[in-house]
Amino acid sequence: MLPSLGHVAILIGLAVSLYAAVAFVLGGRGRDAVLLATARQAMYAAFGLAFIACAAMVISLLTHDFSVAYIARNNATTTPPFYSIISLWAALEGSILFWTLLTLGWASLVLYRYRARHTALMPWVGMSLALVAVFLFSVMVWPGNPFSRITPVPLEGSGPNALLQNHPFMGLHPPLLYLGYTGLSVPFAFGIAALLTRRTDEEWLGVVRRWTIIPWIFLSLGIVAGAWWSYEVLGWGGYWAWDPVENAALLPWLTATAFIHSSMVAERRGTLKVWSMALVIATFVLTILGTFLTRSGVVQSVHSFTQSAIGPWFLGAIVLALGGSLALLLWRLPDLGDRGDPPRAVSRESAFLFNNVLFLGVTFVVLFGTLMPLIFQATGGQRISVGTPYYNGLNVPIFGALLFLMGVGPALPWGTASWRTVRERFTLPIVAAAGVLVAAVALGMRQPAPLLTLGLAGFVGTVMGDELLRGARSRARVRGEAPATALWHLATRNRRRYGGYVVHFGVLVMAIAVAISSTMARQTTVTLRPGQSATLAGYTLTHDRLVIEPLAEDARVTETRAEMTFAGPQSGTLATALRDYPNSTAAIATPAVRTALGEDLYVTLLSSDPKTGSVTVRVFVNPMVVWIWIGGAILGLGAAFAIWPDGRRIPAVLPAPEARRAEPAASVPAPVSATMEGS
Amino acid sequence: MRVLRWLILPLLVVPLSWVLLTGFSVNPNEVPSALIGKPMPSFSLTTLDGTKLDSRALRGKPVMINFWASWCPPCVAEHSVLLDAQRRLGGRLQIVGVLYQDTAADARSFLATHGDPGYASLQDDDSRLALDFGVSGPPETYFVDAGGMVRGKQFGPLSAAALREQLARIGVSDS
Repeated sequence: MLPSLGHVAILIGLAVSLYAAVAFVLGGRGRDAVLLATARQAMYAAFGLAFIACAAMVISLLTHDFSVAYIARNNATTTPPFYSIISLWAALEGSILFWTLLTLGWASLVLYRYRARHTALMPWVGMSLALVAVFLFSVMVWPGNPFSRITPVPLEGSGPNALLQNHPFMGLHPPLLYLGYTGLSVPFAFGIAALLTRRTDEEWLGVVRRWTIIPWIFLSLGIVAGAWWSYEVLGWGGYWAWDPVENAALLPWLTATAFIHSSMVAERRGTLKVWSMALVIATFVLTILGTFLTRSGVVQSVHSFTQSAIGPWFLGAIVLALGGSLALLLWRLPDLGDRGDPPRAVSRESAFLFNNVLFLGVTFVVLFGTLMPLIFQATGGQRISVGTPYYNGLNVPIFGALLFLMGVGPALPWGTASWRTVRERFTLPIVAAAGVLVAAVALGMRQPAPLLTLGLAGFVGTVMGDELLRGARSRARVRGEAPATALWHLATRNRRRYGGYVVHFGVLVMAIAVAISSTMARQTTVTLRPGQSATLAGYTLTHDRLVIEPLAEDARVTETRAEMTFAGPQSGTLATALRDYPNSTAAIATPAVRTALGEDLYVTLLSSDPKTGSVTVRVFVNPMVVWIWIGGAILGLGAAFAIWPDGRRIPAVLPAPEARRAEPAASVPAPVSATMEGS
Repeated sequence: MRVLRWLILPLLVVPLSWVLLTGFSVNPNEVPSALIGKPMPSFSLTTLDGTKLDSRALRGKPVMINFWASWCPPCVAEHSVLLDAQRRLGGRLQIVGVLYQDTAADARSFLATHGDPGYASLQDDDSRLALDFGVSGPPETYFVDAGGMVRGKQFGPLSAAALREQLARIGVSDS
């Protein structure tokens, strides 16, 4: 009954989103407000229908309705309710259903918010979003029906993928990532609308800024949560492996980040317009590519779902989205000429330009590495895999340069920076960087990557601190406010700028934590009989006993657990286990992680001998890992601060660009740097 | 210049779709093995019923070597394919099972529950043979031609279709 309801909701969803797409086009061409209103309502209805389908799926999961093939494959009567609910996105068809819900959620939000504004753009925004919905519903009607039935109905299902029912983070990481992925269809829709209507001025960029940053926050947090999940669950002691699907999430993040920066220049200075448009398109195409890589089984990865018929559909979507939007961009290229002057060599614009080039550099490195195995295969070569040394070797220097620009860019003025400004702003930070370097070397640090990172962090941190204090001090002097009040007012009156600083600070924290944890971790593998101890980096680990018993919440799962005592910088007891799930050939590790601000003690059980009670464990002492998660949280908070409505009414239509461009532009011609806009 | 600009479009779209498309034509369960085209590793092991089996005795007829374990759910899934294969092709094909990190008692009770195909299963207690073949986890099946050369490897459970395809490589038609 419920599965049929869900299936019918999907069928009607396809029909209404098709209607919406057509009605947006006709209504937009004929400026027919009534038709456009029905198109919007059709999209809200599609959202409601996707919600009904999701609800039908969740209830069927909770009631273990194994007549649905998806549920028989991904659920069992013993699956706890929490993992039953999140099984909505634990496998292929369900995740597409969930994806559809989120896409339509974003679409409805945008269409409702701008129902009476941006009237020239909105029909085409609506059309683009409706077409995305048509695609998703079609996938669920034809190759990936989440409600397809099986007969005879099995008495028991095979249960969720063992890896995915092992940690509550499964309830957090995918929804965050999906919210990010799906939200990024909104800036794409605006970009397409701007190109179609030839309104490629600042209007769409102004609207889209917030609609890019919100999904960007979700995507960032999703990536960090994924790294955290991998660290807490997979038991290899690390958090990032350049797995194809990690890369798939990183790729649109990189281009979206580049877009957030380039769109600021495009909005303010009228340059980098083609660049910004290309980034919006690239971001959207990369989100589909990410989905394609994850869902189709094309690449080997911890994340890959089973090989399925959905792949060709996603391939078609990639070709259509990339080909169509690129053709549109090329067609409208003459409209996207730069109105402003090309950026001067030393200015904020040029820093942004370099930032974009570097972000794109990382994007290419990662994209190339991810697709390399496929390229090899396509050219008749062997199956190869691209490893960490490739990614790190190429990306670490680029990330270093990005870090440097992060300090330089915001401190430089728009237009032209005089030599005096440069000297004034950067003398102290350079001294600070040198100080940090000397201190680090004196403390015994010798590896180049963390030294470089720390030096850069000293530089960037000082630039930001100096900037902040300078602003607060002058405000305190002018307004006669207390320093703390002045700082708060300064920040809340310029949310965009200071929110950006907070994001940069979060990145800084993460960069330091990554540099140190990835180069200074220590590990050892030991075999211990009960009562024996091992030491590593000041910790003493004692094996108390080996326990093998069924899991309390699911008796079909056997847990082999080593109970241990540890002493050192932290002390206490821990249990590290291997779990044997009936539907998994490999035992799933449940590493013990004891986190402190300075370092984590991380113990993974590798094997055990029930006869003697001896165990083999891998022990890691990972410094500063927790700061990666803290940095991620700072980054998210900073971005939220930047886009928080500031109480003052934001004009629906931005003031004419000419009025804003009246800000002083220096007249001294400086050497012209290359522009990316081309001929 | 104008026209050249449009070249970006096919230059970007065509190679990308070609690369992604070829991704489908490849079976992810078909992992290349260093053994393909090489002679089968030799062995002399005890079967479940206690007799010795030497690899030299298998010469001259196509062989299918199936690594399995009683604790492995996908092995249950492919078991019906194996039962069927032995029944229909037993005359033309020698099937040999090899226990992978399993006890003889557990293996016997597995066969009692799911049906005994009748061919021998070898006890590979120290996993020497699994190491020689490069087995990463059961089920894994190797296909050896009449000349003793390894011609195919199946990673994961065998389906009827996969079996047919693999058997063609060692000259056994399964129609």
